[in-house]
Amino acid sequence: MSGRPERWSRPQRRLHAWGAVLVVLTLGLSLAMVALPMSQLLAKFLTYQLHKTFGLLVLIITLARLGYRLTRRAPELTGISPPMRRAARWGQGVLYALLLLVPLLGYLTAQAAAGPVPTTLFLVIPVPHLLEPNPALYAWLRPTHQIAAWSLIALAAAHAGLALRHHWQGVPMLERIWGSG
Amino acid sequence: MSRRALFALVVLPALPARGQERLRYVFDQNLGRIAFSARHLGLFTSQGQFDRFQATLLIDPANPQNASVECVVETAEVSIAFPGATDLLRSEAYFDVAHHPTARFAGEANGLTEAGGFPIAGQLAVRGITRPFRMTARLIERQGGVAHFQAEGDMLRGEFGMVADRVLISDAIRLSVDVRIAV
Repeated sequence: MSGRPERWSRPQRRLHAWGAVLVVLTLGLSLAMVALPMSQLLAKFLTYQLHKTFGLLVLIITLARLGYRLTRRAPELTGISPPMRRAARWGQGVLYALLLLVPLLGYLTAQAAAGPVPTTLFLVIPVPHLLEPNPALYAWLRPTHQIAAWSLIALAAAHAGLALRHHWQGVPMLERIWGSG
Repeated sequence: MSRRALFALVVLPALPARGQERLRYVFDQNLGRIAFSARHLGLFTSQGQFDRFQATLLIDPANPQNASVECVVETAEVSIAFPGATDLLRSEAYFDVAHHPTARFAGEANGLTEAGGFPIAGQLAVRGITRPFRMTARLIERQGGVAHFQAEGDMLRGEFGMVADRVLISDAIRLSVDVRIAV
């Protein structure tokens, strides 16, 4: 008897779902904010602010998920081969790391930018900046944030794709993480 | 560049030429700074500057409240740190540099002093529109033969036909001039 639960707890499942939705929304906003012309300045500004808001929420949710992981063991990965199980554990570890790293890099990128625009949650709650504008640091942070973000998206897509594949192969993978029951 | 040439380039323009009572100083972006700032949604302030301008100041450093100033800025030389914003400011919706390559201010102090400085009132021409404009100037410090002056005034950009992005960018734009002159 492993002592592991059969599925993730309800709060963990909800945090996972909210995190996934926010990652997708943050990606969509990042594409929009860059594509919007300066002539649509208000829309551009708002998409940047929402992108930063959702990114910081991803960070908060990920920290909450990690907090839950410290208090509750993960369900057993059954129905897949040991090498696949090891790969899944590694993949989840890297996903957690990227879910922390990408928002942090974005937060620092916003601070290092030459034209300092404050970071707020939903334009209401100010989030303090820790860095002064630093063009040299910004030149390093911005592409690093982008590369890490695309790595996160690629890995999250593979994570979701493999979960669906296992589900369709009859392995009860989705039931552990999805649904409200 | 030799020291003599450097001195001629940097210091000589700010040395006075004798007038009747006041002294005449000519300065540009090498000796002074003309900046502007705007508020955004009450959340933050952005700042920019003009990287090329020519100004003439007639002043008696002992009685600066009798000063007069004339300044011409090259609007295409506007700069602001936000990516893409410099081109936006050059565009038709803002300084419209293709049609209005310069902006100009000419003003005179009225001989009076107020709390915080002495007023300089005159005419500001931006985008071909001329409106009364008032700045408040102050002598910040005078040290080692150099007097440091600052002047500030708020223009309403809408009065000059700059009405774009009014939700995001305040109508009031603060203009500031900072110059050090050898007295």
